[in-house]
Amino acid sequence: MRSQLLATMVIVLASAATAGAQDTPKKPATVINPAPTAQDYADLAKLPDWSGVWNPKITDQDRQARTSPPPWNEKVAKEVEKMWADEKAGRPKLIFYGCFPEAHPSWMLVTHNAMEILFTPGRVTMLGESDGNRLRRIYTDGRRHPDISDPTFHGHSIGHWEGDTLVVDTVDILPQAPLAISEAVGVPNDGDMHVVERIHLADKDILHVDLEITAPKILTAPWKTTRIFFRQRARKFDIVEGVCQTGDYKEAMDANGHHVFVPVEKTEWGNLVAPK
Amino acid sequence: MMKHLKAVTVFAVAGVVAAGIASVSAHHSSTMFDHATTMTINGEVVELRWVNPHVSLSINGVVKERAEDGRAVWVMEMTSPGNLVRAGGWRRDAVKPGDKVEVEFSPLRDSERKGGALKKLTVAASGEVFTANIREQERPGLE
Repeated sequence: MRSQLLATMVIVLASAATAGAQDTPKKPATVINPAPTAQDYADLAKLPDWSGVWNPKITDQDRQARTSPPPWNEKVAKEVEKMWADEKAGRPKLIFYGCFPEAHPSWMLVTHNAMEILFTPGRVTMLGESDGNRLRRIYTDGRRHPDISDPTFHGHSIGHWEGDTLVVDTVDILPQAPLAISEAVGVPNDGDMHVVERIHLADKDILHVDLEITAPKILTAPWKTTRIFFRQRARKFDIVEGVCQTGDYKEAMDANGHHVFVPVEKTEWGNLVAPK
Repeated sequence: MMKHLKAVTVFAVAGVVAAGIASVSAHHSSTMFDHATTMTINGEVVELRWVNPHVSLSINGVVKERAEDGRAVWVMEMTSPGNLVRAGGWRRDAVKPGDKVEVEFSPLRDSERKGGALKKLTVAASGEVFTANIREQERPGLE
């Protein structure tokens, strides 16, 4: 009896151990980003020269806002018309509230601030002047988009070079990220937005960003548009740190004599409340 | 602990509401200003706030077109520091408190408020001129 019980226990324990081994999900292999080689760095020299400070051509943004609008769906088109009317009446809608980033692709579409573009092995990085623009990481190391969506303001971007043109594919953009055509006209993309860009030099100091934006919740068809940036090289124009929220605060001293920031009053449109 | 945190949060929110501070800000359009109208103020700089995304300048002076208001503090808004450097030749030390200046500006549409969008600033002592038209940085010949 005792030996039977012992045998049974051994079988049960063995079965449990086997079942445990079968149930354990296979751990995915860790993907290691390889350290760049000297050749990887040397290859960067073969890429086009995108150094310097790139400024948006705002007059072209202005022009396109009216002449090349996105194919808004019927509901959004009505909202957009009201935004135009409100802006004209001096009640501009605050699209980029709370110092959130302009996000992708609105950073490319309507920014008023400069950016710089850095090449490193396996990556192109866009750095905006004001942190409302933030930064974009574009992976050029051959990876694919992740299987599990993790939406962010600038989405997940993968790129590859076709000659001197960088082709960028971006998904996983937050639904709250606006598709804007001016600082006061635009709506949240509401999800499933997909952006393809072809970025290339159109002249020595002119960069074109050709965009194709698919946003099925707010557009009736993919929207193609181009945005223009021009280059400056003078050191006095180098980009410096610009923290958006400092505009919401002012410098003060606390009770202990420390330097601190305290909030300032703003209107619903984002400007300072002026004295009466 | 949780209760304490909750109390702090409520207090913070109440404080913001009491102060009338909107939790909205950042890059904004400038159509709250009447760009079809230009006014001129002569006075002294109170404060230059060299911050993103909009630099501001307070001036204690008299607005020519609103002389009946007498001497008062007006607040001018501009674009970002980087854009002012590129488009208008500004520097962080372009003006300091007490400097006598003349400023052309577009006033707020809300005429009860003493605010505007700065167009052009002239420093009386040096004659230096600084502008604030963001689209000026597209002019040819920039370095």
